[in-house]
Amino acid sequence: MTDLAHEPELGHHDEHESTGIENRKLGMWVFLSSEFLFFGALISNYLLYSNRGGFDAPYPAEVYDIPFTSVSSFVLLMSSLTMVLAHNALSRDDQNGARTWLFATAALGSVFLGGQVFEFTDFIVEFGMTLSTNPAASAFYVLTGFHGLHVAIGVIMLLSLWGISRRQNGLSEKHGLNLELVGLYWHFVDIIWIVIFTVVYLLSLPPS
Amino acid sequence: MTATAERPSTTIFKRPRSTTGIWSWITTVDHKRIGIMYGYAAFFFFLVGGVEALLLRIHLAQANSEFLTAGAYNALFTMHGTTMIFLFVMPVSSAFINFMLPLLIGARDVAFPRLNALSWWLFLFGGIFLYSTFIFGTSLAPVGSDGIGGIDGNIAPGGGPGGFNFLADSPDGGWFGYQPNAGPLYSAGTAMDFWALGVQILGLASLIASVNFIVTVFNMRAKGMRLLRMPVFAWMSTVTSFLLLFSLPIIAVALFMVTFDRQFGTLFFNATGGGDPILWQHLFWLFGHPEVYILILPAMGIVSEVLPVFSKKPLFGYSAVVFAGAAIAFLGFGVWAHHMFASGVTPVAQAAFGLATMTIAIPTGIKIFNWLGTMWMGKIRLSTPMLFSIGFVAMFTIGGLSGVTHAVVPSDWQQTDTYYIVAHFHYVLFGGAIFGLFSGLYYWFPKLTGRVMSERMGKLHFWLFMIGFNLTFAPMHWLGLQGMVRRTWKYAPETGLEPWNVAVTVGAFIIALGVLVFMYNWYVSKRRGELSGLDPWDARTIEWTIPNPTPEYNFATAPVVTRLDHFWHLKYDEDDEGRPVRKPDADRVIADLEYDGLNPSQPIHLPAPSYFPMLMAIGIPVIAYGIIYHEALWGKLAIAVGAIISLSALIGWGIEPLEEPMEAHEEELDLGSAGAADVIEDSAGGEEQSGD
Amino acid sequence: MSDHTHPTPAQYWKIAVVLAVLTAIEVGMYYIDRELGLGAFNAAILLVLALTKFIIVVGWYMHLRFESPFLNRFFTGGFILALSLYAIILGLLGVLVIRGGG
Repeated sequence: MTDLAHEPELGHHDEHESTGIENRKLGMWVFLSSEFLFFGALISNYLLYSNRGGFDAPYPAEVYDIPFTSVSSFVLLMSSLTMVLAHNALSRDDQNGARTWLFATAALGSVFLGGQVFEFTDFIVEFGMTLSTNPAASAFYVLTGFHGLHVAIGVIMLLSLWGISRRQNGLSEKHGLNLELVGLYWHFVDIIWIVIFTVVYLLSLPPS
Repeated sequence: MTATAERPSTTIFKRPRSTTGIWSWITTVDHKRIGIMYGYAAFFFFLVGGVEALLLRIHLAQANSEFLTAGAYNALFTMHGTTMIFLFVMPVSSAFINFMLPLLIGARDVAFPRLNALSWWLFLFGGIFLYSTFIFGTSLAPVGSDGIGGIDGNIAPGGGPGGFNFLADSPDGGWFGYQPNAGPLYSAGTAMDFWALGVQILGLASLIASVNFIVTVFNMRAKGMRLLRMPVFAWMSTVTSFLLLFSLPIIAVALFMVTFDRQFGTLFFNATGGGDPILWQHLFWLFGHPEVYILILPAMGIVSEVLPVFSKKPLFGYSAVVFAGAAIAFLGFGVWAHHMFASGVTPVAQAAFGLATMTIAIPTGIKIFNWLGTMWMGKIRLSTPMLFSIGFVAMFTIGGLSGVTHAVVPSDWQQTDTYYIVAHFHYVLFGGAIFGLFSGLYYWFPKLTGRVMSERMGKLHFWLFMIGFNLTFAPMHWLGLQGMVRRTWKYAPETGLEPWNVAVTVGAFIIALGVLVFMYNWYVSKRRGELSGLDPWDARTIEWTIPNPTPEYNFATAPVVTRLDHFWHLKYDEDDEGRPVRKPDADRVIADLEYDGLNPSQPIHLPAPSYFPMLMAIGIPVIAYGIIYHEALWGKLAIAVGAIISLSALIGWGIEPLEEPMEAHEEELDLGSAGAADVIEDSAGGEEQSGD
Repeated sequence: MSDHTHPTPAQYWKIAVVLAVLTAIEVGMYYIDRELGLGAFNAAILLVLALTKFIIVVGWYMHLRFESPFLNRFFTGGFILALSLYAIILGLLGVLVIRGGG
């Protein structure tokens, strides 16, 4: 029976995947390619509105706390390191190590999110910049908000994998692939932030 | 994979097992069943969109008509467009791709069967959510006004003078939702929120499907099925999926922006607040133009399948047709502003986009000439599928020609917002896409049912469509050039537009008659139609190497493909002049294929059913309702509840075990025509796959 | 899934240090620009730094450098498509022409 179960299936098994890339991995790369269009629209929108003057203050570029955001950007960047270490640990069948690094990644991601929440609260309460203050503010909040949502979903996925690993005493090969997939997603969220940090925070000027 | 078998199952609920009854349809992950459900649902929406059109036509048959109130008129043309595009043509194309793509490439299912089910349920719930606006939606006077033109409450409720006012509370901002007209100020109330969130959900369904189809085509082709040996419909499905993949995120952002403007006070398109209405147009059409190629390419793929079969000739210039399709898609990303020539874009932009638009005529022309070349000197059989495909070529060409006139900017300025434009896109979308889709329905009907549709009724349907369609849309060309404005409630009798409008309305009802004939044909042929056998059309491609109706497992053994039109070459040799000569053993080949197809020699693994896709899909419209009513406590709760449902389903899905113990399944199997073969339900048909 | 061309943990750490340094330079440039007003030059440097970080994470952490060219073309294609389309839009809407302010 096991022989037949391992029979080369129509298009299901690595040896039959015509590109040589597992289905789910290819699927994740395909999906991530489309996300460039999603974030590109939001970033372009911010660029369009960021210095349109003549409306209520404050503008995002007037209230940025660059030191604070630099730190949280660094945190997110380092979470990519921990993510890749988790993947590496699993590939050496170091289940404990994988679990640790997974948790570390989720923790760093949560720190980043916490920073975002703190930053938003500060902008709203301290400076009175809300969604409706001016178009630049709308654009800023929606862009970084969606990015944050992506991070949050990533954290949930990381913690799920961590939980499964704990419950099942390690990740099976199937879940191992899932870890790699979550890793790809996580790094993608990081590279989007690399762009946002530079273009939206560091390079953005308020209306003169 | 003994490692997996050792791990305990982590499911909370038992895996569904039924193969018959409604529960089996709810939990199915079989691409064929999903395709069937898409098809019926899409056809239902076709009828709804058609009724909307007929109401519009009854109204427009008379100058200064007040058959519909202005509010109802706006709602009807909005919903007609939205329905036909998002709830008919796209899902019916999806139905075709779902059902046929694996068969065309020699696979047993798509790459991610459960994800496939998720796309279907999202579509269904999205459509229901969108249409629930008829019950829940409100459409109020612009904020701060007491009505325009002395009409209290402007458009609705009350909708202004006139008779038929039902539906006046529905989305009325056009299928294109131009801002700020369709924004919070000028389209107060909830109707346009249903529109924005509904289309958003539908877009998500299609995006997920596009990922699925792309991976399927690249990874799951049978042995020997090189990309440039794939049937053209498989190619067009791939190209369409790329278009969806890269254009849907753009409209997703735009729809989020509009939803946030309407619900959370952002200023994206608020002109006085600093927002840019033109941004909406750019984002919308950046999606909207690739969208029209999404609508036409699958139908073009069908035509490329049908014409060779019924001309008994290979497709003329297969590679050129394939690359032309890819070129159309690629160029299609660069022409969006041709929908904005009258919106104040700069002359440089107009010139650039006008020129770019004209270049698309080149690959399109290549396809048309290659289709003609296919038929030239062929042995033509005018069966119903062929009639519709020939009709496609003719009607689409007319529509394409009017499209070329739009590419000339000054000419477009005359045509914009007139019925000339309406004529153009109905010629390409109805005369094109819909004719092509019907061609496919008649052609592939045997794969679904094992029978052929009635030729007599098919031909009647075709001629009713040809006459009705042309009577409806041809006059719109000159109505438009004479100045009949589109999206406008009334036209004055002095314009002299009424007589042709009456003709148009008559044509619309002839179309409706044709639809009824088709429906009756479908119903009767399904039950009592002539049995098709394996190869009713003497076809060319491998989906016809398996029995009809298609067995649950598709291919009993994995096909091995050696060349383009593989099946044809199993049956035919060529003589010295290149003419096909039927091999003496061709009939035996077919009989063997039939027998082998019904009697697989070894157990076959199929993806196991699952309810997580449906469960996950249900959460999304719940969130959407919550967003619309978020000011109320229950709205906020709905958002949370919907999110929890979807998230839980996602987690459950993620840990749904790969393999079910084999014994548990063996008793339940209703094999139908599969006879004595063991068909074992297993997740994802393979250890490496989670069947996502 | 495991591959002979995967970097070692030590290499991953080194890459992380590089990324951190690049980020520090970026932030440093931000402050320098505030003092010296370097205009487009500053923008160019920051964009180059960001692009470098981007390529490093994609190439090594996402492992694209060692993956099949098919994936590479796909992902890069999506990126270039996004870049092109939005550059055109920003050009049409007057953003890309004017640098900074109004």
